[in-house]
Amino acid sequence: MKGAPVILGGKDLEVEEMLPPALERTLPHKWLPKEALPLYADRSGAEMYLFKTAEEKVRNHALSQVKEGLEVMGFLLGEVFTHQGAEYTVVRDVATTNLEATSVSVRFDPEGFESLFASLECARFRYVLVGWYHSHPGHGCFLSSTDVSTQKGMFDRPYHTALVVDPFRKEMDAFCLTNGEVRRRKYLVYWDEFQNPYYGESVRPKKIRM
Amino acid sequence: MVVRVRVRNAETGATVDMELEMENTVEEIIEGVSAYWEKDPGAYVIRKGRRLLRGQQKVQELEIQANEELELIPDPEGGNR
Repeated sequence: MKGAPVILGGKDLEVEEMLPPALERTLPHKWLPKEALPLYADRSGAEMYLFKTAEEKVRNHALSQVKEGLEVMGFLLGEVFTHQGAEYTVVRDVATTNLEATSVSVRFDPEGFESLFASLECARFRYVLVGWYHSHPGHGCFLSSTDVSTQKGMFDRPYHTALVVDPFRKEMDAFCLTNGEVRRRKYLVYWDEFQNPYYGESVRPKKIRM
Repeated sequence: MVVRVRVRNAETGATVDMELEMENTVEEIIEGVSAYWEKDPGAYVIRKGRRLLRGQQKVQELEIQANEELELIPDPEGGNR
């Protein structure tokens, strides 16, 4: 007679102590909504660092559906670290696939999972899904009751983030759960050394006097 | 005959080691790990590399190697209402 699968034991992720990206290589997002700005009076205390190219993918994904007014969605692929007792995440990449989307709802197309998995297989690091992103075209950045239920059911660890983008209003904001309640999360866009900054002055070659 | 596999929870990086019988189904694997991690089994799928494992597929059909890693992936839903 067949028995149920037997769990022999489990192991949690070991979170490493790591310095967050250097402050001089971080900037607040260009599309922060007005009501989020007080949180960004200085750059300390960020809980999520979004890599410049991952940010660009999220923004461009949302913008790609502006004409149709459709929502988009995907996963935030990253790592969890601690620094001086505070947990933070670094989002290095995002992954998505074909979607079943309307102007008010979104989910993965069941036929699109294998394409999503191909993207996950291509990740060059041992990722954790540190959150998810989706768009609210024209409706602003907040967590709806559907979003809260997704967050509570799937992304309920303190480090999990829901990144919401409104490509019409040009807004992008981040949220998380604390003791079951939704709150805004402070996040910064970061870039690698020798990469052009997220915005501001780019590196230009110096003229050499002969 | 039993096969031992590791299932990784993509949301947290946590893993569990499981012993499966050839007759066990993918649905039973999802139910087992969901109960362990206190998740809703209906909101998750399992991948083996690039392949989506279907609920009614049996372990014997999956070509699983001993100690192979499978990954539990959430199937989220977003909306603005």
